[in-house]
Amino acid sequence: MESIKLKKITSVWIIAVLTLFVASIVLGILMRLNQGGVLHQAPITFYSNMTIHGITMIGIWFVAGMAGINYLMERYVKTSYTANLIALILTVSGVLMLWAVTLIGKFHTAWTFLYPLPLRVMWAQWATPTFLVAMSILATGWLIWGISMMTQVLKVYSIPQVFAWQHFKKDPAVKTPPFILISMITLVGVVTCLLVAVLLMALYFAEYFSKGNFVNDALLMKNLTYFFGHTIANEMLYLGLAVIYELFSEVGGKPKWKTTWYVALAWNFTLIFILTAFFHHLYMDFVQPEGFQIAGQIASYLASLPAAAVTVFSVWVAVYRVKIKWTLTNLLFFVGVAGWVIGGFGAVIDATISNNIVLHNTQWVPAHFHTYNILGNVLFSLGFFYWFSIQFTDKRVSEKLSRLILSLLIIGGAGFLLAFYIGGADSIPRRFSNYPAEFTTARPLANIGAVFATVYLIPILILFYNISKRCLKILFSSS
Amino acid sequence: MQQSSILLLFLFLMGIALIVFIYIFMSSKRADQGMSNPLKKRFWFFLILTIIMGIFASVTIPKSPYFAFADKTPAKVIHVAAMQFSFFLSEKAIDRDKPSGQKIELPANEVIEFRVTSFDVNHGFAIYDKSNRLITQTQAMPGYVNRLRYKFKEPGEYNILCLEYCGVAHQLMRSSFIVK
Repeated sequence: MESIKLKKITSVWIIAVLTLFVASIVLGILMRLNQGGVLHQAPITFYSNMTIHGITMIGIWFVAGMAGINYLMERYVKTSYTANLIALILTVSGVLMLWAVTLIGKFHTAWTFLYPLPLRVMWAQWATPTFLVAMSILATGWLIWGISMMTQVLKVYSIPQVFAWQHFKKDPAVKTPPFILISMITLVGVVTCLLVAVLLMALYFAEYFSKGNFVNDALLMKNLTYFFGHTIANEMLYLGLAVIYELFSEVGGKPKWKTTWYVALAWNFTLIFILTAFFHHLYMDFVQPEGFQIAGQIASYLASLPAAAVTVFSVWVAVYRVKIKWTLTNLLFFVGVAGWVIGGFGAVIDATISNNIVLHNTQWVPAHFHTYNILGNVLFSLGFFYWFSIQFTDKRVSEKLSRLILSLLIIGGAGFLLAFYIGGADSIPRRFSNYPAEFTTARPLANIGAVFATVYLIPILILFYNISKRCLKILFSSS
Repeated sequence: MQQSSILLLFLFLMGIALIVFIYIFMSSKRADQGMSNPLKKRFWFFLILTIIMGIFASVTIPKSPYFAFADKTPAKVIHVAAMQFSFFLSEKAIDRDKPSGQKIELPANEVIEFRVTSFDVNHGFAIYDKSNRLITQTQAMPGYVNRLRYKFKEPGEYNILCLEYCGVAHQLMRSSFIVK
């Protein structure tokens, strides 16, 4: 069973994630208000805020997923508290450094920090090396955490078993729980992309300290950056799905989902496709070999097939004409799956090369990734956070309040996202602090986005108060 | 226009997804035996999805910009060098040490090739038409030259914007050319 220490550290993760989430949403709203002409930030402030907004959002929802699977994994294998603690300490250190680098040092490369932008110092001299050190610290902490969890799983299950290969035969002697299968598939992807991040940082350090004697290749660096960035942003979604596979039926009062041959097959394929889909970020780099470009489109399409046919369909089967005990947890999961599917449509459209040429780096990009984050992955993790926080108390969020929270999340999220989608269709560029006059719809759309993002923030604040209060109790209780 | 069709397609797909999810959610209120024969339905769902995506991929991949006018000889070649925070366009190769550009006029209905590079960081090279619609783009990457081919049908002034975030004045980085 979960130890007291694990409960406490999970509580710390949850409080930290929610605090940073609220702060980052506020930064996002300020950015939209600036684009709308309501605020008049200096461009350097806008771009510094944009950089830390992106890095924080990716970081927190990744660790939220990791903390979630670590907590649930204790049901199957003993996990390492030390690795969890090291990851927490290194994450807090890295995040504090990154906030200092951007808000004090005015480092503003955007979260994608495309080479060689970080090396062209347009900010405090200390900011570039501190940024590289902070990213290395985060990658190290998360690698230790990921490898530790994989090692612990492999102490109980063999390699074929963690990938559920025995399920390709009839009546396997050992049954791999879906949670273990998905966690392991995801952790392999996580560790792979973090190793690439370490390589990327090493190449940056090599150039930084070589004083011009060593220069990196821009195309290679872009491939490495997106291998890391795209993969981690997608794997964090799969961490959320592992939690859904474990909890969706349980919370609804139904028997646990089982691994079957098609579940095993789908997730094994997902691992391959997700590691090659990042090529779609380089469609507009025509010097990239055409084979990679085509592979990028095919892998992006194929990555969505097993996920849709297995996960989405499994959720439908679990709900269709089945008496379910609906709570805030499984409602968040259900709405999150719908948001993930809709964001997936936006992503597949953008991952089509002939569409990408008129959508790349327009507001269509933030439109689709915000969809599967704010109405997908975030809801998966919020569902877990809420479920975790009520484990040790009798008090629940009332049905009325649950309805209000969900309604505001959906209304706020949908309005905020539609402003981005329409902006994308209007060819409005993303990542502009202010818009030239010819983009007549850019300002009103930005302000509409800001208003709806504020509506989205209300339920987040309610959940922040509600969940953090319970987590603080867990943190300071003696049992 | 391509963007409008894309938005309509997205809204259509979103509508279908919403209807399915709401229908399934509502069905849990009149619960009975659950879904009959889910494995068979899952197979058909997967098959239909695969066929739709297969058709979509086979129709769209040949329309990728890498194959556009690949067998044609361009009527004009324009060299483009991007630097924080301006573009240089020239009919001659651009000197990295003393970059300079010229006013560009292009013929309508002829294949034009843009040879796009960067002298510092990554930039975008995006062409907007008279109605301010993004019509084509490529990236400007240091150390590489991206060749973008396009045939302009309408005469008029076309704007160029940087679409890859490149620093504090990214939003101001722009240029233009005339098609006659």
